[in-house]
Amino acid sequence: MSGPDVHLLSVGTALPGPPVTNADLARRFGMDPLWEQWVDTFIGTTSRHLSIDLDSGVPKAELADLGERAGRIALVDAGVKAGDIDLVVMGTSTPDRLMPTTANVVADRLGIDQVASYQLQSGCSGAVQALDVARRLLDGDRFRTALVLGGDVVARFYDTSQDLRKLPPAQLVNFVLFGDGAGAAVLSTDPVPGSAILRTTATRLVGLGSAPGATLEWFGPNDRHSNRPPATEDYKAIEERVPTMAREVLGEILSSLSWNGEDIDYLLPPQLSGRMTEKVMALLGLPSATEVSCVAETGNNGNALVFFQLERAFDKMVRGERAVGVAIESSKWIRSGFALEGI
Amino acid sequence: MLIDEFLRILRDDLGLYLSDTDVDLELRDVAGWDSVHLLSLCTLLERRTGRELSLPEVLTAPTLASIYHLAVR
Repeated sequence: MSGPDVHLLSVGTALPGPPVTNADLARRFGMDPLWEQWVDTFIGTTSRHLSIDLDSGVPKAELADLGERAGRIALVDAGVKAGDIDLVVMGTSTPDRLMPTTANVVADRLGIDQVASYQLQSGCSGAVQALDVARRLLDGDRFRTALVLGGDVVARFYDTSQDLRKLPPAQLVNFVLFGDGAGAAVLSTDPVPGSAILRTTATRLVGLGSAPGATLEWFGPNDRHSNRPPATEDYKAIEERVPTMAREVLGEILSSLSWNGEDIDYLLPPQLSGRMTEKVMALLGLPSATEVSCVAETGNNGNALVFFQLERAFDKMVRGERAVGVAIESSKWIRSGFALEGI
Repeated sequence: MLIDEFLRILRDDLGLYLSDTDVDLELRDVAGWDSVHLLSLCTLLERRTGRELSLPEVLTAPTLASIYHLAVR
């Protein structure tokens, strides 16, 4: 990129309610202590936040509600007014509806208008894809300040009438892995004290000929009674491919910036589950970098995850410190990453 | 519960393609076996026998046959 540096000014996040623990899920779905022990041992996610009332199954919040909250926090923290935003980019796999886009609903609620706006249909790499699109569009003279959003709400996929004991494995894991949330960041070509430079962003589709590692369906009047499962997870393929893909991205990011592994102060690894993140960290092998993870407490909230990690890293970063983030999307296999440097 | 019923659970409910003697294989050598199948199997066994299993104890079982013996003891 030849234009001005793109700065991260602020990060905001929003969760739909208090944490739902494994014990809460066990109680709700009539699962026994063995099930809880299994989740602790093999998933390593202790809680998640859900936008439905677990007892009644009634939705409590839409993605636009969470995106609005996260966006408002990011705008206030950046000291930026709605009228200063000239670009909105949002990534999500679970928009509230196909039209209007959730990106535009959030913009409307925040008083943002007369801007370019884009919504990416995306999985766990979506936050990085949104950062990438925003950074590249800011690399010119058309735009100066972007609101970047990402989030997911799995309420419509969370069937509280389901008997978990009868679910096939590919659907069972979804009940413990996922959660809801949204995040937002303000990027600008104008730095402010405490901002960080977004040195690079990279995304690459690498799924040629590969079966999807995850699927999410949507249904209309003609196929609403289809037998297709609404959500599936090929956890075996994910376990096998994600650590290697993460290592490849990290190598690409470091190489593109001529940084060494020892130069990294904070590493934001992929957040599939607590245990998977441990495995990925072991393979990435950057013992001098501080791990910044959230999934064990937030659950895997998809397009929001990177913002929760960014929020934690951005709070700590001081001048000259470097952070690298990696996100992997298993639906059709996208690897992505980014790098930040405190100024 | 007889071993035939145990094999039926493995084949029909878990979808594993097993011969009768595969229950004596080390778990890592059982085709398709993973931690999610372990959870599904334990849940089905508890429901079938009406008795709770302890995960730490199940994790010490080296074969499917030894999981069966924990469930029916």
